[in-house]
Amino acid sequence: MKTLVTEHLTKRFLGLVAVNDVSFSLDAGEILGIIGPNGAGKTTFIHLVSGILMPSSGKVLYKGRDVSYTPAHERARAGIARTFQLIHPLENLTVIENVMIGAVFSRGQSLKEARKSAEGICESLRLGDLGRDTASLSILEIKKMEIARALANGPEVLFLDEVMAGLNTDETRQMISMVKAIAKERGLAVGVVEHVMGVIRELTERVIVLESGELIAEGPYSEVSKNPRVIEAYLGGAA
Amino acid sequence: MANKRNWTVALALGAAVIGILVWRPTVLIYGLQAAGIYASIAIPMGLILGIVHIVNLAHGEFMMAASYLTYMVCRATGMDPFLALVPVAAVTAAFGFGIYKLTIRQALKAPELNQLILTFGLAILLTQAANLAFTSQTRKISFDYVSASVDIGELSFGIYNFVFVAIAVAMVVGLRLFLTRTTTGKAALAVGQNPRGAAIVGIDVDRTYALVFSLASALVGMMGAVFITRSSIFPAVGSPFTMKSFCLIAMAGVGNIPGILASSVLLGVSENFLKAFRGTRGWADIVFFVLIITVILGRSIRGKKA
Amino acid sequence: MKRNTLYLAAAAAAVLAAALPAFLGAYPLNVARSVMTYMALAVSWDMLLRSGQISFGIAGLFGLGSYASALLVLRAGMDPAMSLVFATLFTGALAFTIGFAVLRLRAMYFSITTLALAEIFRIVLHNLHDFSGGPEGVVLPGVIFGGDTRALYWLCLGGLAITLGVSWYFEKSKLHLALTAIRNDETSARSSGVDIFRYLLIAFTITSTLQGMMGAIQVQSYGFTTPETAFDANFTLLPLAMALLGGIHSTLGPMAGAVLLGIASEWLKLKIPYGHLVVYGIIIVLVILLMPRGLVGLARKRRTGRGA
Repeated sequence: MKTLVTEHLTKRFLGLVAVNDVSFSLDAGEILGIIGPNGAGKTTFIHLVSGILMPSSGKVLYKGRDVSYTPAHERARAGIARTFQLIHPLENLTVIENVMIGAVFSRGQSLKEARKSAEGICESLRLGDLGRDTASLSILEIKKMEIARALANGPEVLFLDEVMAGLNTDETRQMISMVKAIAKERGLAVGVVEHVMGVIRELTERVIVLESGELIAEGPYSEVSKNPRVIEAYLGGAA
Repeated sequence: MANKRNWTVALALGAAVIGILVWRPTVLIYGLQAAGIYASIAIPMGLILGIVHIVNLAHGEFMMAASYLTYMVCRATGMDPFLALVPVAAVTAAFGFGIYKLTIRQALKAPELNQLILTFGLAILLTQAANLAFTSQTRKISFDYVSASVDIGELSFGIYNFVFVAIAVAMVVGLRLFLTRTTTGKAALAVGQNPRGAAIVGIDVDRTYALVFSLASALVGMMGAVFITRSSIFPAVGSPFTMKSFCLIAMAGVGNIPGILASSVLLGVSENFLKAFRGTRGWADIVFFVLIITVILGRSIRGKKA
Repeated sequence: MKRNTLYLAAAAAAVLAAALPAFLGAYPLNVARSVMTYMALAVSWDMLLRSGQISFGIAGLFGLGSYASALLVLRAGMDPAMSLVFATLFTGALAFTIGFAVLRLRAMYFSITTLALAEIFRIVLHNLHDFSGGPEGVVLPGVIFGGDTRALYWLCLGGLAITLGVSWYFEKSKLHLALTAIRNDETSARSSGVDIFRYLLIAFTITSTLQGMMGAIQVQSYGFTTPETAFDANFTLLPLAMALLGGIHSTLGPMAGAVLLGIASEWLKLKIPYGHLVVYGIIIVLVILLMPRGLVGLARKRRTGRGA
């Protein structure tokens, strides 16, 4: 059984179809790329899968269970974690507290246990000085903290929404190997939304391409990137 | 969308009106007159909320301050409030401009918490300043024309308060013309819908906010002047109107100025409906609070489904 | 070790507060009671504020607690001390029920609705002549503890101690994480598994219960109340100004603000009988504009470094 499956997933906003009839699956140990031009519905798709938005029709199946209308916090507890494109570090909390939240509320750990597991996660991401206020963090550190926050949920599925945006080449390379290591160590099913194609090529085994909310292509990056429809979608999007 | 709802409300009101008219005409007459007052106080607040996106919890207090000013002017010069409203409106416009520049503007980018508490603080400041200057004693000036009444058959009722209905209608029409026909008005509307976009096309957002805030202050100042013709004034006289105005705006939906008129009629008539019975008279005050909660909750539930 | 000094200071303050009746006369003790009442309200208001929800309904719950306690004594013949407990529980239960509706609301809609609810409570008690005494209010057969000034002081101190204890628990438990996460960003909090509605309901119910408790203590200490005194807008206004001045999102801030403004207002009341509250308006406006983090925030500025 695949870890995460969507069937004909659709979301309409007042007549505008943001995600249209998308069926896909994601398996444990796999890193999947989700690409498409701006406004293709990638973030909305992640919102639907993580429960921030509820679908207009279609289904989300997690380990065979229908979670289409399950509230976001319950999906987080069940093991679907994600980061946000526009990062929202919790400003009035320290780095460690930010990370602890997932462990406390998703995994039901006590504050003490949560602190311990949060420290473990931060260490594996090489994120230090955990008593700091989030205001002083660099972009790379904020991105790491976002990933740490998601990992603290103890997820089986992890969606990363543009975690490389704003990083320089060096940092990007560092992040790629980190994501690979995390996915492998924890046996996660990872979905990555990314604009930089170099990152997608290096990081993912398979990609799905969204355009105007529809899934237009699926397969290894090397194949998909030659698909005329995909090329047209990107050129059209660029024009 | 808003238009369609306005029509439904109007239709429902129409049916209710005919029913009440047959049964007890004074409920309708006094209800409409009350609606005139509610609407003409709420409309300026709606203008600020629609364009500057600030809930001015000191709105009723602005009116109160204007009422005291008018009271002093009329006492000192013997001027009629309808004449005094011109200088009073000018003063409150300047006052509104000052308040905007000194306080509101600083809080525009702050969290909504700060904005609410700021205007709440302004409300206390004004009420208590009035308390300090005038004590809590009520003040009143009587005018002969206020008691004008009409007899139709066995029915006798005061007609003076229809002035407020006229003012409310004038405000709706005037603002509509201003916002759709003048360049400044169109710019204000654009700022209200999308301040960033408006700034990109070269509209001075800050100036527009200041202008709208001054205009709304002038309007509510004018209302404060006229208000003293029908009611005695005291420092807390304005505060119920702040909440009622907010309720009416929430009912109409932010940005829907004619809708404020419709919801005022609903509120005015239902209050006077309860006042018509001896046993329920004391409960008339509650109508509005129940209405506000129903409306707000109803909206939030419908908002979730949409 | 820093924590130990803090505990030591708190213990010393507690002992001092408890021993105060040994040194002070009736008038200062009454002032102290008023300060403690406002302090408890300010801290409880702040506790809900930590989740980002601004209540304008403190007076409503305070008045509700007052009336519940008074009416339990008058209409059900309950012992005054018992009535404190049941009035407190009643306010909590009602807040829990109301919470299901109002906690769907956010920002200004939540604030205005809490204000409107307070007004509804007042009008209802104003109009239920036979049951609540209507506008004339209620007079109890006697003041609790025979009106002994010291006993009344300790009763009020007890109410305050409970409030501060709960607030301290809010700061130290996972409620702190949940409420701060909700205040910062609800979407992100949900994705970390925080059940937003549940935690808001907990915070709303508990803070309302505390406010009702202080109202019940108040009415039993004075022996009478009217709708206009029990639901006096000052019970909303003053705690708000105190918390803001002292510094929101903490226990210490509202406490400091309550001491400062509480004593200042006693003094101002004598100097300016009408309109001494203008000072509160000025404080609210100035604090919001100039130091949105209050006195405690100012003191901590070096540590956190950023404005609210």
